[in-house]
Amino acid sequence: MIRLEHVSKVYKTSTRPALDDVSVEMEKGEFVFLIGPSGSGKSTFLRLLLREEVPTRGRVYVSNFDVAKMSRRRVPRLRQSIGCVFQDFRLLPTKTVAENVAFALEVIGKPRNTIVKVVPEVLQLVGLDGKEDRFPTELSGGEQQRVAIARAFVNRPLVLIADEPTGNLDPDTSQDIMLLLERINRTGTTVIMATHDHGIVDSMRRRVVELAYGKVVRDDARGVYGVGR
Amino acid sequence: MRTSFVFSEVVTGLRRNVTMTIAMILTTAISLGLLGGGLLVVRMVDKMQANYAGKLEVSVLLTNDVSANDKDCTQQPCAGLRSQLEQTSGVETVVFQNRDEGFERFKRIFEAQPELLKLARPEAIPATFRIKLTDPDRTDVIKKAFDGKPGVKGVDDQGKFLERFFEGLNGLRDVALILALIQAFAALLLISNTIQVSAFTRRVEVGIMRLVGATRWYTQLPFLIEAVVAGIIGAVSAVAGLVLFKAFFLDRITRNLTESGIIPPIGYLDILIVSPWLFLVAIVISATTGYVTLRLYVRL
Repeated sequence: MIRLEHVSKVYKTSTRPALDDVSVEMEKGEFVFLIGPSGSGKSTFLRLLLREEVPTRGRVYVSNFDVAKMSRRRVPRLRQSIGCVFQDFRLLPTKTVAENVAFALEVIGKPRNTIVKVVPEVLQLVGLDGKEDRFPTELSGGEQQRVAIARAFVNRPLVLIADEPTGNLDPDTSQDIMLLLERINRTGTTVIMATHDHGIVDSMRRRVVELAYGKVVRDDARGVYGVGR
Repeated sequence: MRTSFVFSEVVTGLRRNVTMTIAMILTTAISLGLLGGGLLVVRMVDKMQANYAGKLEVSVLLTNDVSANDKDCTQQPCAGLRSQLEQTSGVETVVFQNRDEGFERFKRIFEAQPELLKLARPEAIPATFRIKLTDPDRTDVIKKAFDGKPGVKGVDDQGKFLERFFEGLNGLRDVALILALIQAFAALLLISNTIQVSAFTRRVEVGIMRLVGATRWYTQLPFLIEAVVAGIIGAVSAVAGLVLFKAFFLDRITRNLTESGIIPPIGYLDILIVSPWLFLVAIVISATTGYVTLRLYVRL
């Protein structure tokens, strides 16, 4: 489903590669933690999947897409099958909760009647029914992240990418978000989550891919954050 | 593609940057107005050339003693000149106009200018041969052949005079077009700037649209339409400006010239005929500038 073959990425401004000969494969429906210190290449990894960057060497495959080699014209299609959640939520402050989620569908040309049907469904899934008309500034951090997750999931993507989604949240709220991501994973969506959060990784015991200095140093099927820590 | 969505994005964009939008519209309007003015001068010149084409004459002016004494062109050198002229190739008709007839004609042409008539006396008007040529471009032939001959005061080539007049008008046209070009350049830069500012103001939306997989066209379209709408409003303003200019300024200062038939009047119909070009130029330039700006400066 997701495959990186000998992928290296060197940014022009640096001598050390951001990713160094990384080969990883992830099946459909997996839940994978991507861990490692800052600068280890986690964000680069995710950006390559989205075609925000192109690898200097190697191939990247997401579902049927040869991400590195595909033409620019087809990139929007790829991105429509990947949902993204970020540490800073990235909501539109001038739109309501429902409008924020609908926005993701409007801009890819989904018809109005589909949007009107699907948005309430996904808001209920993330536990925000009743809050459709609130604005992001009126919500707590956890609720804002739920909106972001709803927006990422509303088009039923194949993959959900989460880049430090609990970074701005307290431990209890973080747990709630993780339960939500798990629920989404159970629907068959592959989830890849980059994180610093030891507690979450340890408590969930899923596949852990650890990066250090751009290389994969560990790939455990049911891993914890630190070996022997 | 959802038109209501695109439409609402365009309206939001235009309203958010009202000052820049107004500046963009103004410079476009001025540039198009100057372009329209230049085009109207071109139309005027074309009309004049059509008007005068069949009517141009070469006038051979006769000296004072001939004008005073030979009212019927029966004496020499007048009769001799007449037969020579009639035999010159390229000459269609030769009409002798004596001094008195010339004076009557003068009074008719300038009947709208009584001050001029008060100063005129028959003795100032020479007798002339009014020559119509089969080929209006051969006026030089007459001039070379008859200038300086006994009895001939001079050869007046209306064509040459008109040529110089046209040169003047074309000069005016060129000035208008050059100014239009300079203004257009300013408008171009302003449109580019407005789009960049607009894109920056909307960077969060644009970022999310990219992430979520909106196609490039969908993301670009609101910006391009913004530019084109501003261009069209500029074109409408330019046409309105030309109409007002004609009604309140142009008609007044050219009244004498148009009433005496020297230059054709510029009508509202002329402005109407010129305006589609203004709209076309507005749309093409704003859309192209918008597209190039987005391509070069905005990550989509």
